[in-house]
Amino acid sequence: MSKKLWSFKFSTASLVLIPAAVGINYIGKLFAGLLKLPLWLDSIGTMLASMLAGPIIGALSGAINNIIYGLTMDPISFVYAITSIAIGITVGILMYRGLIKNIYLAILSGIIVALVAAIVSTPINIAFWGGQTGNIWGDALFASLMAKKFPMWLASFLDEFVVDLPDKVASLVISFLIYKGLPKSLINLYSSDDEIERL
Amino acid sequence: MRMMSLYKDKDTIIHKIDPLNKILYILASILITMLISDFKILTLTLVFSFLLLAIGKVIKNVFPIISFSLIVLVTIVVIQGLFNPNNKIPLFNIGQFVFYKEGIIYSFLLILRVLNILCAFSLLILTTKPSDLIENLVRRGLSPKLGYVLASVLQIIPQMLSTMDTILDAQRSRGLETEGKLIKRLKAFIPLIGPAVMNSLISTRERAMALEMRGFNSNIKKTFLNEHNETSMDKLIRYLIIALIIFTIVWRLVWLK
Amino acid sequence: MAKIVVEGLKYRYPLSQKLALNDISFEINEGEFIGIIGANGAGKSTLCQALTGIVPLFFKGDYGGRVIIDDVEVAKSNLSEISLKIGMVFQNPFTQITGSKLTVYEEVAFGLENMGFEREEMKRRIDDALMLLDLYRHKDKNPFDLSGGQMQRLAIASIIAMQPKIIVLDEPTSQLDPQGSNEVFKAVSDLKKKGITVIMVEHKVEKLSEYADRIMLLHDGRLIDFDTPSKIFSKDDLKDYGVVEPVFTRYCKKIGLKDERGLYPVTLDEAVNLVVKKREHNS
Ligand SMILES: Nc1ncnc2c1ncn2[C@@H]1O[C@H](COP(=O)(O)OP(=O)(O)OP(=O)(O)O)[C@@H](O)[C@H]1O
Ligand SMILES: [Mg+2]
Repeated sequence: MSKKLWSFKFSTASLVLIPAAVGINYIGKLFAGLLKLPLWLDSIGTMLASMLAGPIIGALSGAINNIIYGLTMDPISFVYAITSIAIGITVGILMYRGLIKNIYLAILSGIIVALVAAIVSTPINIAFWGGQTGNIWGDALFASLMAKKFPMWLASFLDEFVVDLPDKVASLVISFLIYKGLPKSLINLYSSDDEIERL
Repeated sequence: MRMMSLYKDKDTIIHKIDPLNKILYILASILITMLISDFKILTLTLVFSFLLLAIGKVIKNVFPIISFSLIVLVTIVVIQGLFNPNNKIPLFNIGQFVFYKEGIIYSFLLILRVLNILCAFSLLILTTKPSDLIENLVRRGLSPKLGYVLASVLQIIPQMLSTMDTILDAQRSRGLETEGKLIKRLKAFIPLIGPAVMNSLISTRERAMALEMRGFNSNIKKTFLNEHNETSMDKLIRYLIIALIIFTIVWRLVWLK
Repeated sequence: MAKIVVEGLKYRYPLSQKLALNDISFEINEGEFIGIIGANGAGKSTLCQALTGIVPLFFKGDYGGRVIIDDVEVAKSNLSEISLKIGMVFQNPFTQITGSKLTVYEEVAFGLENMGFEREEMKRRIDDALMLLDLYRHKDKNPFDLSGGQMQRLAIASIIAMQPKIIVLDEPTSQLDPQGSNEVFKAVSDLKKKGITVIMVEHKVEKLSEYADRIMLLHDGRLIDFDTPSKIFSKDDLKDYGVVEPVFTRYCKKIGLKDERGLYPVTLDEAVNLVVKKREHNS
């Protein structure tokens, strides 16, 4: 973890971390599908990149993740780049503040990440989908809240949040467990501001 | 799969258009759909996009892209038709459910917006080689390092995927169960993703060193192996789109008053 | 003059307690083929990285002493400038492919583009490098479609296109099948014939003895010995350093076949010559 939180001077190692992070996101999604898990688990790479190299590299990983998805699968994913950026930045800051150091704190951080993700996604959902998320359970909740005359923004926010909450908590806990298992030399690789000491 | 891409290699005028112009077309399309809520205009722009896609011989490739959003688009009609807060005039009913005019109109507007944007994006994605797009952006000032990151993702992900099967087989042969109760399947996730993460992180170390040995961090202005000439046609198209964007904004501002 | 001078080189990785390189000094002359051997963890890779400036410019940590190439001290230079003087090839062919280029030809261009070479000069260098590494007929293939040996040769070609006078190879054959290994050895000996200084870490000591002018024996971060292959492999305490001699040498040691200087042969040819010479001498 770099000491300078907002450094825009990227080391080569942290730049090549980005393609790896996008790949991990993708593999996470595929494994989750393979195991038929009711979660996406497609932001583990972004979260790890934030934990290893800080919020900016995390945000870049998130943005590039969605740009690549947009270019190669579903163009709508472009607009959700903003959500991925927010996830990257949030995890990076939480990590920097030392708030992800055990499993309970990881769960708490996951809740914060889910909140941020839902807040950022809601305006997009309203502009594009009239407030829906495309997830059956979330949208069922949305429909019932709308029927009860809840304001659209609140219904839309809750639609997104119930979907994001289990996914982001699980993703952050998994990222934390993986991070714990990484060798020190690897963790140190991505920090850019070590000094060379003369012997 | 060697490289992730939806690009369809064909020989048409659309394929030859400068990628930057296609990006501008997307911007114009988003702007128009967000600023103008007029059915006639949005239908017109949609037809125009379809026309361009037809010239690019990629029209049938658009439908899989749209199908990603199909279910949401259908449910939008239902949910807005039933529950839109502005609903007043009933239009028809299915059983006890009453659909209202305002909600239905609103949902059609949303659908038109999404279709417009999807088609504009498709024009870029289906008729531009990703590597050409990225190189073009780097020539125009995108950081070469970011350009490298974008280009390499497209090839590195398929490489990483090829290790997925190896990991899956290895862990299954060690007795990892990938079926059964939810909690069991959830527990199987870490032994699967863990090695994939380790492999890819360890290779970042060597890849970073190898890049450094090839001038990745040099301060010298980068040159390009491939030549690139902008045609006057490309310039013309660019000015046209920019004019359209400005016109839309001005018109919207005036029209609002 | 592409001469390498190393003086009192010491290095410790960040967060590490022990010295990975401990007071190493030597000189290498232009055009030499140097082999590096030693047990796992001896510091071979770290030494290679120190020669190319990766240590301490990429891996920071604690550093002492000097590495001088062509009168330039690498620790005070930067990696892109150093890459025009000394290149490095790594173990894994996959990770050395940039991944951003679609053809072998463009892949070789990557470094040249970064260093701002003119298009004509670039093409000349790429053609030369691909010819030298016998890859020209694959120039339009996707790099990931090459075999392991071809991919490793592509990595070498990409370095050679930068036209460094020195090339360092860290176990370039360890992840290749026998055919791929042979391709790489052939390629490396061609580089030597071109006058390029070659420094190579390699566990296949039979091959190394065939090509190397001198061999460096490392252990625990220290330079134990730096001499001709026959002198190095004639040592009787090799086992202490976790190194084995070539099969011919081991056999000759067993039967006591050595020359008048007390050195054992290190290649089959040398062994045969020695036997013939002894026969003539006896009769
Ligand atoms: N990135 C690193 N961070 C911390 N310590 C390291 C790092 N790389 C290597 N080391 C340590 O430095 C010492 C020398 O390692 P080095 O990789 O140079 O050995 P080697 O001779 O190349 O071994 P091998 O035959 O396994 O390749 C070892 O003790 C190793 O654990
Ligand atoms: Mg090594």
